[in-house]
Amino acid sequence: MSGFFIALGCGLLSAMGVGGGSLLMLWLTGPAGLAAETARFVNLLFFLPSAGAGLALHSRGRLVRWDVAVPGALAGMAAGGLGLWLGRFVGGPVLEKGFGLLLLAAGLAELLRRPEGQTAA
Amino acid sequence: MEKVQSLQPGCRGALAGAAAGLVSGLLGAGGGMVLLPLLGAALQGRERYATGLAVMLPVCAVTALAAFWGGARLPGGMLPVLLGGALGGAAGGLLYRRIPLVWLRRGFAVLLLWAGIRRLLG
Repeated sequence: MSGFFIALGCGLLSAMGVGGGSLLMLWLTGPAGLAAETARFVNLLFFLPSAGAGLALHSRGRLVRWDVAVPGALAGMAAGGLGLWLGRFVGGPVLEKGFGLLLLAAGLAELLRRPEGQTAA
Repeated sequence: MEKVQSLQPGCRGALAGAAAGLVSGLLGAGGGMVLLPLLGAALQGRERYATGLAVMLPVCAVTALAAFWGGARLPGGMLPVLLGGALGGAAGGLLYRRIPLVWLRRGFAVLLLWAGIRRLLG
């Protein structure tokens, strides 16, 4: 039952686009005791209904820019297939550490970014 | 960066989606963390987070399908997690406009820093 409530909180964050899946991964690989590969699959499945529910409401609220989202999704699906294939040949700790550095840089850039002119709707 | 800014929004979205998909496929996670900062070149404010979901949803669906074909299965006892995720997602969608934008941005920035440190130390 604890999984339900943890997923409820993580789903709430996911629908806002602020990384509920990453937090759920902590629970899945920690207290839930799942192997990393299994946890990733559960995390992917978790994202589908949580993001889907959020997206339906965002779409009704006209917050989704479909002219950006559709090309992004198409390119993302193609590149995802490429990434899965490349993952057979490359990977490991160097890639993980490089990605870690990239995330740190992105986090700092996000913190230091100028406030956006758009006001809350 | 100026060259990226001069592209049409659809092209910028495609570049951001491609980068996110590549990372998702390679590492199995983290695509959204790449996507949202890159989408910042095309979109601002609440549109950025909402559009990010619209990009990542099909990417995750395809990745999950590929994992299923590869033999991945849902372990027992995980259905409540999916149900909780769906209800939480609906609640998040309803509350989204009430959460100050600056909280979303700072929360996401903290998450990026935390995930980066975890990967570097892990």
